[in-house]
Amino acid sequence: MDPLLSGEIGLTEVLIVLLKVVVSFAALMVGVMLMVWFERKLVADMQNRIGPNRAGPFGLLQTLADGIKLFFKEDLQPERSDPFVFKLAPYLSLVPAFLVFTVIPIAGNFSDGNDGVVTLLGHETLMQVANPQMGILFVLAMSSVAVYGVMLAGWSSGSKYPLLGSVRASAQMVSYEAALGLSVASVLLLAGTLTTNGIVAEQSGWRWNLWMTLLVPFVVFVIAATAELNRPPFDLVEAEQELVGGFHTEYSSIRFALFFLAEFMNTVTMSAVIVTLFLGGPEGPIPSGAPGWVQDYLLPLTYFFGKLFIFLFVFVWFRATLPRFRYDQLMDLGWKFLIPLALGWFLILTSLKVAEDQGWNPVVAVAVTAAVVVVGAVLLRSSIRAASGDDLDDVTADVAAGGES
Amino acid sequence: MGQYLPIVAMIVLAALFAALSFVASSLLQPRRPNPVKVSPYECGIVDQADPPERFPVRFFLIAMIFIVFDIEIIFFYPFTQVAGQLGAFGLVAIGIFAVAVFESFLYLIRNGALEWGPVVRARRTRLRSEPGRTSSTTIRRVGSEGRADSREVAA
Repeated sequence: MDPLLSGEIGLTEVLIVLLKVVVSFAALMVGVMLMVWFERKLVADMQNRIGPNRAGPFGLLQTLADGIKLFFKEDLQPERSDPFVFKLAPYLSLVPAFLVFTVIPIAGNFSDGNDGVVTLLGHETLMQVANPQMGILFVLAMSSVAVYGVMLAGWSSGSKYPLLGSVRASAQMVSYEAALGLSVASVLLLAGTLTTNGIVAEQSGWRWNLWMTLLVPFVVFVIAATAELNRPPFDLVEAEQELVGGFHTEYSSIRFALFFLAEFMNTVTMSAVIVTLFLGGPEGPIPSGAPGWVQDYLLPLTYFFGKLFIFLFVFVWFRATLPRFRYDQLMDLGWKFLIPLALGWFLILTSLKVAEDQGWNPVVAVAVTAAVVVVGAVLLRSSIRAASGDDLDDVTADVAAGGES
Repeated sequence: MGQYLPIVAMIVLAALFAALSFVASSLLQPRRPNPVKVSPYECGIVDQADPPERFPVRFFLIAMIFIVFDIEIIFFYPFTQVAGQLGAFGLVAIGIFAVAVFESFLYLIRNGALEWGPVVRARRTRLRSEPGRTSSTTIRRVGSEGRADSREVAA
């Protein structure tokens, strides 16, 4: 809970809230602008090209120039489209993208058990726009709402490629949402709270969830997040060789710009969510003798953006390095590997935590759960083999016996 | 509910930004629609078929299977918050629950509900044994839909 909004809400509180909202809005817009430039420039470097270099120093203003250009383009509405939904879809895509960032703590002193409270204009507050109790659930909820934007955009276009793209997108996002949710559950088990502030505070003193959850939920989360963002190698939603432009084929002018903006904003915010959940957000070593503004703002902001930058780089790196998945490979990876893995790991972590609380021998507890998980894995493997027809002998035996295979 | 005030403010600001962008764009852009521009995109071909209303049933299956897992996750989240207080009882309960869900998951996989790959080999082995399956029942002329019948043209 944000101490600023716990008591009575007067004019000053509202002004501080508005200040935070406007600053984070502007920071997101500038961040997205730089992210688009960074991605184009880095992919260009990796492919031995120059990349944007005309607008502004090092081509930094290229995104702005492209955005302004799109304002002047004709906004076509296909004759077979559903007018209301066609206009609604960009909002459904853009607004959730902005909202996710509101719960990300970007600064504040979290070292030595501090809870990140800073004093802003004489009021105690947190360096995040909002800190509702639902915390991380809000992030998951918003990423679910974003599916509607993609789905409705494709459906309302009244054209075949967008429809195919949006159907693929919803199936993909829904599948990987399950893996995403299960890996978040492991983090919540250790944190014991849903608020993002609490999750960061719990990782204080190098107790980062990256290794406290023994790495596996982190790997599952990063893969699932890449799929959730529809970024390469999971960009089947807009696979241009098959689907023209995917769900936004029929969108032009500013409507297309808003989809584009939302997509890159989601990349930035999802990286921020990874940093918050697994790398301790703005947490890091802070010398106790430093002046207050260094402790509360300068160092935490540096740590946060440094960690954020790593993931932004990794997402671009994925794009430049990995070829696109085939659709059945994508579904197999999500359903038959990531979801069971996240589920099994959650159960092992649960037994470890309960064993610690109850004073049982942790080795025995984990061994018992691991045995159960291994049995599950063996059963899963045999089911997959049976379904994919690798066990031809079994199937022909079934057919010979008159059974349904 | 005061905690949600900033989120409401952000919704308003983001929606306002999108709306103002539309207004600005509609004032600045040219408006010269013509029938070719507003027809559905079809790589330069004049589009004749209706937009597709059907897509593979597997996508619906995925949505339904997802609900099972979503329910599982929904039960996991409250459990993570009280795992410490529930102790051994909670561990056993969540284990039984996970086994129940996992068992239905195995059933789905075994029945091929999550098979996306090329046509299953097993299905071919079964079809091969059907006596009514001859070349006249399996070969179908494709690509002739919508074309003028060649015999009519000749006549």
